[in-house]
Order: sequence, then structure tokens, then C-alpha cells
Amino acid sequence: MRAALPTVPSLHSEWIKIRSLRGTLGGLIAVLAATAGIQALTAAAIGQAEEGSMGSDPLFAAYYGISFGQIAAMVFGAGAVSSEFHNGALRTSLAAVPNRTRFYLSKIATVGVLALLTGQVTGLATFVAGQAFMGQYALELGDPGTYRAVVGSGLYLTLMALFAAGLTAVLRSGTVVLSLLIPFVLLVSFVVGEAAGGAAQFLPDRAGQLVVHSRMEGDLGPWTGLGVMALWAGAAVLGGWLAVRRRDA
Amino acid sequence: MNSIEIRELTKAYGSHRAVDGLTFDVLPGRVTGFLGPNGAGKSTTMRLLLGLDRATSGTATIGGRRYLDLPDPLHRVGALLDAQSAHGGRTARDHLLFLAAAGRMPVRRVDEVLEQTGIASVARRRIKSFSLGMRQRLGIAAALLGDPGVLLLDEPTNGLDPEGIIWIRELMRGLAAEGRSVLVSSHLMSETSAFADHLVVLGKGKLLADTSMAEFIDARSTRRVRLRTSDPIRLRVALAREGFELAAADDGRWTVEGIRAEQLGNLAAREGIPVLELSDERASLEQAYLDLTADHAQFTATH
Repeated sequence: MRAALPTVPSLHSEWIKIRSLRGTLGGLIAVLAATAGIQALTAAAIGQAEEGSMGSDPLFAAYYGISFGQIAAMVFGAGAVSSEFHNGALRTSLAAVPNRTRFYLSKIATVGVLALLTGQVTGLATFVAGQAFMGQYALELGDPGTYRAVVGSGLYLTLMALFAAGLTAVLRSGTVVLSLLIPFVLLVSFVVGEAAGGAAQFLPDRAGQLVVHSRMEGDLGPWTGLGVMALWAGAAVLGGWLAVRRRDA
Repeated sequence: MNSIEIRELTKAYGSHRAVDGLTFDVLPGRVTGFLGPNGAGKSTTMRLLLGLDRATSGTATIGGRRYLDLPDPLHRVGALLDAQSAHGGRTARDHLLFLAAAGRMPVRRVDEVLEQTGIASVARRRIKSFSLGMRQRLGIAAALLGDPGVLLLDEPTNGLDPEGIIWIRELMRGLAAEGRSVLVSSHLMSETSAFADHLVVLGKGKLLADTSMAEFIDARSTRRVRLRTSDPIRLRVALAREGFELAAADDGRWTVEGIRAEQLGNLAAREGIPVLELSDERASLEQAYLDLTADHAQFTATH
């Protein structure tokens, strides 16, 4: 408990850092806006055209917007960490909180909690807003897998933000991380995933998105898939911690 | 409590030693000028002191404790490292607010230091719109936030206008007079001599001098008197009797090496020689400082 007490001011400090930058605060809002907004717009446009018009898996179709929301989550996670590498901002931060583990974990915890809260709101809002436009094809909360998808989609977005945050601490640049991750989730994972069956299912986004699928094709279930994603995010966060601890500021 | 102790401090980057076996103390109650040419290791020493960089060997402590081990670092040490050490996208007030939060300080402190450093009127502007002088004031505001007993200021006059330079000079002297330790780096001797009581001079990472300002001046400047007289012939004879030599200066005045004005004045009075003007002439501090650092450069070059 004594060790935890000095962490409260540093958590408070991290929250002020996030809310005082347009980029990070905007990224957080964009998670909700992109996921639920694109879901609702797409559903309104083509949702009632025919059965399965948004994809053969109706649950995954209800989270079509997550492909866009995850990019906002990455922008938020990467931005929260990369702002420390802007000029010499890190030196000021570490002078205020010299214990690097405390500094880093406070930042990761703040990113995680904010992403989780936003993610949970997004998960529910996306389902409700999207299904409102699906007419006769709409799913209802309580249908098989729907609660899991609502909660799981929020967790997925949280893990994506943490994955990007950890990687940014390792590579010390949000631009580098985003220019690696965005093409990866939009193209590489998609193409590789369609082509190869085996290892590709363990890629972070493909494994994690199983939580919003109703049909499983590979070896992973919805929660084990999310678990694999959590391992990726955990590894990135751990790598970031080692980098922040070791390097000169 | 408020002293800084540097002991055998070394920071090596590969085979290059940015800081090389430094040992000195910074004591409270006075302004210590931290001098050296660019690249002498001043900023590195300050970063090592704050635990931002890791020392290869040796220690740097504040009141006997490493910065990392201080329970309330912002209340003990205030640092201005670099005017650019702030994210340009934040407002000045938000920058200070997150620091205040980390140090458990009331929001009132933020407004106080904004007033004290004269940037209250631009507090809600983004830092990227600030001039170098305004950033420098913000950095000083951040250093003062926790009302610390130790201040580390790296080139604080950078970018300040003449009015700002006088302000920071008086601020530093005031802080030292309140019993704080103030370490101020600069690469300009002329500037440092205006506010420092004590000097620590570095060259290529090594300690060249650790002395009071007065001792530095006495030891490093040759004694010389400059005068005007209506009777140089008698004065020359009188001086020669005492072992001094009168030499003509280019502007119709005369100079005497190795003597003080007081001594020469007495001698002239005794002899009844009219002296129209008389003053001690100190070799310029800047010159003494350049000689010191140049000596060192020569020493390392022949090494």
C-alpha cells in the first residue's frame, strides 16, 4: 500500500497530459465515433439490402466498424506515449517522476483505463446503433454471443491501444509505430490471413477479433483469441518498460 | 540538505568521456557558475544529477541522496534543462498543471509561478507559439513550482532580452540569498561574473577550477595600474627605486605592472608627484577564462 500511494499523483499527472493534448484526446473520441459511426452508416446504407449483405457472420458484421475504430485506438495509444518523445518532454516528465517504472506504469494504466471505458461504451453503442438500421436482420442483445461481443470488442480496442503504446515506448516514435501497424491491420494481416491458415490466426488483430465472431474456423475460440491478443499487447508493454528503464532520457 | 555532491562522476559514450572523474560540491547560499565551452560536459553533469542519464561510475547526490531516491523530488530540486523540454501542443498552464499534479502541489502554485515569471498573460496559449524567451520563462516557472532548495539552471539567459537577463540575474541572487543552492551553467564568463559567487569550470569533461569568484579574479588576473600624470620623469625614477617600471600606454596614459593603485597612490603622495588619474586594471575575466580553457585544450592535444 505504501508503494502504491506515490502512484496516485503520477496517475493524475498522466491524465492531465492526455486530456491537454488535442491528438490524444481526439484519438480517444475517434474510437467511439469511428466504430459506432461507421457501423451505423454502413448498416443504414446496405444493412437491409439482403441477408448477409454486411458479411456472412452476423455478429462480426455487427462490428464491421471495429476495423476503423482499432486505428483510432492505435492513434490514441501511440500518441499518449509518443508525446513524451516530442522535443525533450520526457526529461521534464522524468524529473517530476524519477522512478521510471512508476512513470511508465502510470502512463500505461491511464491509457488502459481510458481505452477500456471508451471501449465499453463503444462496444455497446456500436451494437445498438448498428442493429437499429438492420430491420428484419437485426440481432438483439441476448442472442448467442452478443454480450460477449459487446464486452469483448471494448477489450479488443483497449488491447490495441496498449499494443501501440508499448511499441511506441520501444521504438520512441508514434509515426513509425502507426506507419507499421496501420498497413499491417489493413493489408498484411488481411491478405496473409486469407492465404495462410496456420500461423496467421495468431496475428494480434485476427486472434483478437475472434471475440466478435459467432463462427470459429481455426484452433482458437473467442476468449482464447482475445488471450492471444493480450499476449501481444503484454509483450509490447513489457518491451516498452524495459526500454524506458534502460535508456538515457 | 540543499547541497549537491559530485564524486568521481564519469559518463562515457564508447571511448569518449563526456564527464571524466568530476568531483565538486555546490553549496547553499550562493550562486555557483558552471562554466565551460560547449561540449565540456555541463549539461551531461546536470542530467546525471537528475538521474536522466546513467553514470558510468561515480555518484551525484543532493543532500547525500540520489535524485531517484528523493521522496518529493520537485520540492527538493528545480531544474531548467532545456527550453525545448516541453510538448508544443500543450498550453503553458497545462504543462505546469501536470507537473504540479505529479508533485502534489495545489493549482494555486501554478498561477503563482506564472505570475512570478511574467507569463501569466500567455498561460493559455500553446507552447509552440512561444518565443525562445517565453519558453525559457516557462522552464524557470517549472523549476520554481515546488519551491525547491536546489536549482539547476542550464543556460537560463538563452533567448532572454536584456530586461529578462537582469530579471533572471536578480532572481538567482535572491534565491541564493534565501539559502538555496543555485547552479547555473553558461559558456560566457562575462555573463556569469555578473551573478556568480563561486565558479566551477569544466573543460572536456574534467574539472579545471573550483574556486570563489574573487579568488579566480585574483589568481588569474595580473595586477596592473593605469594612470595619468603630469610628471612621468620623476614618477619613473621613484617607481624604479621600488622595482617597478613605468610603461607608456597608447592613449597618453601610463601603466605599471605588478602594483596596486593604493600602493602607487601612496608612493606618489610621498614623493609629491601629481597623479591626475589612477585605477587598478584587472585583466579581463573573459581572457582569464579563455586562458584557462585553452591551457587545457593544449594539454589534451599533446597528450
